[in-house]
Amino acid sequence: MLNFFSPTLALLFQEAERSRLGEMIYQTRTAAANPDLSKFLVIGALLFIIGVAGVLTRRNIIVIFMSIELILNAANLNFIAFSRYLSQTGSPNALAGQIFAVFVIVVAAAEAAIGLGIVIALYRNKETIWVDEIDLLKW
Amino acid sequence: MTLSGYEALFFWIFGLAAIFAGLLTVMARNAVHSALFLISSLVSVAALFVLSGAEFIAGVQILVYVGGVMVLFLFVIMLVNVGAEERGRDEIFNNQRQVTASLIFCFLLVGGVLYSVNRGYQGLQARSDQPSAERIAAEQARRDQTYANSGTGSSKITRDSQNIGNSLYRYASLPFEIASVLLLVAIIGSVMLARTLKQEASADDVDPEVLKEEIARDPGLAKIEPQLD
Repeated sequence: MLNFFSPTLALLFQEAERSRLGEMIYQTRTAAANPDLSKFLVIGALLFIIGVAGVLTRRNIIVIFMSIELILNAANLNFIAFSRYLSQTGSPNALAGQIFAVFVIVVAAAEAAIGLGIVIALYRNKETIWVDEIDLLKW
Repeated sequence: MTLSGYEALFFWIFGLAAIFAGLLTVMARNAVHSALFLISSLVSVAALFVLSGAEFIAGVQILVYVGGVMVLFLFVIMLVNVGAEERGRDEIFNNQRQVTASLIFCFLLVGGVLYSVNRGYQGLQARSDQPSAERIAAEQARRDQTYANSGTGSSKITRDSQNIGNSLYRYASLPFEIASVLLLVAIIGSVMLARTLKQEASADDVDPEVLKEEIARDPGLAKIEPQLD
């Protein structure tokens, strides 16, 4: 009895497995061939998290500033993706995302100028750019 | 919004390039290499902007970020000393415990953010006022009709910059003016911050006690007369 059923069962399982796997592969391929809003958001999220990791782990204060630029850029990517999504649905305020991205770029430029001014002042006074050696406020 | 065909191909190329260049920015030992990888990441993101139909923002990104901010970064890297890092003597990451804790935090953040993006997008698609495919196609056709043909006639001329200019001055003129004040503050602030002691002394902007100490260290400072006008 078992001898008769086990190959059949195995075949059935295999069939189900194959079809589910095939379905998954098919869905992944269609999703990859037609990237939509969520793919833009995923790229933005990954860039954001790489930036956060850079801010938290690096010792060089200039690289920390660069990571902050990466974070701001990821936010911009999200704004633009949503702007495109809204414009395709015919929304009247679809350009709001692009306007906001302009302001984010302005703030990023101002932040970089001030931050690098602080780095130069710091380097002149403490002769270091390692953040773990700048511990005047640490008790 | 759905990209297909060669747009999808370009999306994956530039998206993956942006992420890998971002990773290399964080992991490069030399700060100059970090800056160059950040430039390539920014250019890739600008290409994604072009794919989403935001040509003006893409141009601004290249001009302001790559042309302005990153050049500033490179100058500052050359001003401060990064020799020890280049020669590979110094540790580039914080101490072990800190790195471990922050990496665990980042992995949690990856999970949380991807989960919420997925859930949020599913919720967005499940909304009842989601436009149908026909409506999106009609919107696209309407836009194609209103856009002028380019010189060769092979493509349409986008009106992105014109639209952004219109809405910037019509709906966001107050933030626009405030942004100009912000930039002015940034210019003055960075000039004030980056002054040397000599420049501060000649502007009579040093605490007398501090100046006395500094003159004891460097007698040349005493010769500088405050230039008041």
